[in-house]
Amino acid sequence: MTSIPRRASRPVLAAAVISTFALTLGACGGGGGSGDSGGDGSVVIGYTGPLSGGGAAYGENVQTGLQMAVDDLNKDGLEVDGKKVTIELKSLDDKYAPSTAASNAQRLADQDKAPVVVSPNAGAIKAIQQINNGRSKFMISAYTSDPAIVQSDNPLTMMIPPNFESYAKPFTEQGMKNGGKKLALLGTQSEYGQQWTKAITDEWKKADGKIGADNSIDYATVSDFAGPVSKALSEKPDSIFVGGPSQPTALIMEEAKKQGFKGSFLVMDQAKLDEMATVTKPKNLTNSVGVLPVKEYDDPGTKGFLKKFAEVAGEKKVATSETALNYQSIAIIAKAMEVAGTTSDPEKIRAAVPDALSKVDDKYKVNGFPTKITDQGHLMNPDLEVTYLDKDEKYTKVPVEQVSDAK
Amino acid sequence: MTLFTQQLFNGVALGGVYCLAAIGLTLVFGVLRIPNLAHGSLYMLGAYVTYFFLTTVGVPYVAAIGIAALILFVLGVLLERLVFHPLRNSPHTHHMIAAIGAMFFFQAVAQAIWGADFRRMETPISGSVHILGAEISAQRIVIIVTAVVVLSLLTWFIKRSIHGQTIEAIEQDRTGAALVGINPAMVSMLTLGLSALLVTIAAGLVSPINLLSPTMGDSLNLKVFAIIILGGLGSLPGAIVGSFALAIAETMTSTYISSAVGEAVAFIVLVAVLAIKPTGLFAKAVQR
Repeated sequence: MTSIPRRASRPVLAAAVISTFALTLGACGGGGGSGDSGGDGSVVIGYTGPLSGGGAAYGENVQTGLQMAVDDLNKDGLEVDGKKVTIELKSLDDKYAPSTAASNAQRLADQDKAPVVVSPNAGAIKAIQQINNGRSKFMISAYTSDPAIVQSDNPLTMMIPPNFESYAKPFTEQGMKNGGKKLALLGTQSEYGQQWTKAITDEWKKADGKIGADNSIDYATVSDFAGPVSKALSEKPDSIFVGGPSQPTALIMEEAKKQGFKGSFLVMDQAKLDEMATVTKPKNLTNSVGVLPVKEYDDPGTKGFLKKFAEVAGEKKVATSETALNYQSIAIIAKAMEVAGTTSDPEKIRAAVPDALSKVDDKYKVNGFPTKITDQGHLMNPDLEVTYLDKDEKYTKVPVEQVSDAK
Repeated sequence: MTLFTQQLFNGVALGGVYCLAAIGLTLVFGVLRIPNLAHGSLYMLGAYVTYFFLTTVGVPYVAAIGIAALILFVLGVLLERLVFHPLRNSPHTHHMIAAIGAMFFFQAVAQAIWGADFRRMETPISGSVHILGAEISAQRIVIIVTAVVVLSLLTWFIKRSIHGQTIEAIEQDRTGAALVGINPAMVSMLTLGLSALLVTIAAGLVSPINLLSPTMGDSLNLKVFAIIILGGLGSLPGAIVGSFALAIAETMTSTYISSAVGEAVAFIVLVAVLAIKPTGLFAKAVQR
């Protein structure tokens, strides 16, 4: 008797399981790629980054830049040592976990013979640096502004963005000029956010400023920003340090203005002023110093890049430096392969980077193109600038004196 | 003093949101005897479906929450029928594994449809009210009022209506209830549907002051579990008291100690309750 309803429920269960499986496969399909490569005429560039979970938006922004560069380079046609080479991007999800990133990188180097692996996370890069110069050799294209990754003297690391410590001084100067001497700390509680909070605190104190209590909050888990903002404002600060992912940062600034804050904001580089304007009115973001939006760069390829980005990602999405800097770094790597005459020897490719920098086509110069690479492997753009967003919602560029990467 | 009043209102509003989320979870535990670890992802889906109707389709705010709540009700029923019902006679670990599976599945679906980016839900409710020197945004007043109204309706439903009474009957004694003609399978579906409906209302209310992302349910998930353990698993009054107590404790510690401690309060309470009074504050419903 009892077995009849059970049997009847089995096809339903089976159908559910199968459709679940099919949907999941469909969802994963976008990130993968075919594993068969590394043979004649093609080279795999590996990417391990967060493609699901809390960091997925960041990981996807990086991936978009890489894919756009690969598509453009293939369209141009890359020739290495007299042979035509097609570049293939292979992406693996590491959910922001350094250990997963390291095993992904190993897999990309061993199975796919990738000479270069891209990673956008300091913790992951430190883990990958343990394995990229031993039994298997591959270059790390490192997208992090944490100078610790070049302090380790890994010969096969290329650091892409500027050192974040360079921002502390211009941020402090602008913050004090447009706000005042008293700073409230309302940054994010991630490891990177805390490094920033410390750098700003040190610089602010050096300039004879006063610092209130550390009100850092976890931007990802706080469900209501009004409380932390009220608390920070109760100290009557002249300036507030904020920053985490763009969108929650925008909400915090909006809340602060709503509660009557009139001073200046120091916006950490993780948050991008133009991306923040997609979730709040631009007037809520004024009187703040932050990194220069991609669209404000005057590099020869910026306009073309933004046009292509709109085609790929849609008009509504804002191109950020995660996409733009990774776009131009892949062009540098491709040029280095051409100069070195190899797609398989990461040491030769890395050694060819200094020569390659001056040979990269103008259309790949989009976001402060570097003119040299330090011995430790840090790409340097000598004309680094930050920006001040004034009350009329206009961006003013402020030059940055870059600090040394040494400890 | 102004800061205190301000934060008290913020805490009560947060408590209202926790309450709507925790009640569904505790009902599901009472009836199905399983910790529904996918509850936070139902909250996330509820927010996205509301967002879809509000922004993409363009229906008014209240109607968008209503439609989303009904859709999530159906989804809750399906979740019970397709995932938990077939596992009803298997060991308890299977339910938990299935619930975690459902959680990841819902997150992947949301990311596939709406992308990984944060999204903002605009609301027609703007402006703020001055109470005792504190400035309270209208959205928070709406949250508090709605939470009270929904909780009153729910209490009436469970205590007075036939379908609601079957939920309580099953909670008290599954076999006994089945013997007097209540269909436990139907009640299970109703309960999971109801919990998804309630959590969608919570999501729809809180989304305008927060942001939508596929992982937005994760932190809420942990907190509501702490709440129902504090209140006593399966206990309705426990969930209500626990929600407001925890929300106010969280806001006040964030204000007067530090926000890191504020975020940890839920779990300090959780550990303390498990160590001192594992049955929670209102223990009656925990019986097997």
